[in-house]
Amino acid sequence: MTDSRATEAYLKRLRTGLLGVDDGEVREILEELRSHILEKAADGDVGAVLAAMGSPEELAGRYLTDSLLARASGSRSPLRLLRSLFRWASLSLAGFFVLLGSVLGYFTGGVCILVALCKPFHPNNAGLWTYRDAAGDLGISVRLGYGNAPGVGLDLLGWWIVPVGLVVGCGLVMLTTHCALWCVSRYRKSRALPGS
Amino acid sequence: MKTQAVAEPESGDKWEVQLRKGCLELAILAALWGGKLYGLEILRRLESDSALIVSEGTVYPLLSRLKALELLQSEWVESESGHPRKYYVLTAAGKQRALEMAATWGRFSGSMMRLLAPLGMGKR
Repeated sequence: MTDSRATEAYLKRLRTGLLGVDDGEVREILEELRSHILEKAADGDVGAVLAAMGSPEELAGRYLTDSLLARASGSRSPLRLLRSLFRWASLSLAGFFVLLGSVLGYFTGGVCILVALCKPFHPNNAGLWTYRDAAGDLGISVRLGYGNAPGVGLDLLGWWIVPVGLVVGCGLVMLTTHCALWCVSRYRKSRALPGS
Repeated sequence: MKTQAVAEPESGDKWEVQLRKGCLELAILAALWGGKLYGLEILRRLESDSALIVSEGTVYPLLSRLKALELLQSEWVESESGHPRKYYVLTAAGKQRALEMAATWGRFSGSMMRLLAPLGMGKR
């Protein structure tokens, strides 16, 4: 295989590994590495230069993880954070569990906030209710929006659901963000920088 | 003295490898303190001015990460050799980060040298 073909074959495999990364970013990565290979190979063998860079798949993995985790660390927006976590989850089991916990945390926080916001408009349908199920066991039901309150249910918080829901909901969203960022930070520290 | 490459955990002392890894971000920011450099120049600067011999597969993703963190910005410049080079330069945040890391490094290494004085290290 000629030097040029070996270089292009390497970059093609790298491009495949970078699937999901913005096109512009991929072009920059490939162009930068092509430039590096050409310049370094001028003093020696292309095969040795490519070998020193590691396998294309391994290199792509470093770009993907480093890049998306850096973005996640720099973000305080739940949506941006979740987007980064989705991509992290596609790359590792650790990412999957962090994503799962984050989705659960944001969902619960969001429900609390929505219940608080709905209460003034639908006082009989939104709230934190307790009721006894058919078997007579005590259960807790969070009612949101339109719906029939349990016939024998007890509205636990009444209008207090508004401040309590907002505080608890916002607290859960912030706690989830904090925990997710902590996990990202721990993961980045644990893997430090990739080896070669 | 010839030093070990940054990432060869199986062939070198793991502690030393981790130490070098931890220094790499500061080393890159420090290498760029004097002005813009492209990837291969950064690699060569690290090799010549420090004991850090780092592989391309380590430095380029790290440069990309530092850029994503807005500590670096980049620009493409045509070269005489015919292919464009991607030059990196420190942003204001990157300079601030470098100063903070250098100050931390100074405090840490100073206290470590005092602690190591009984071992004869502080007299060097």
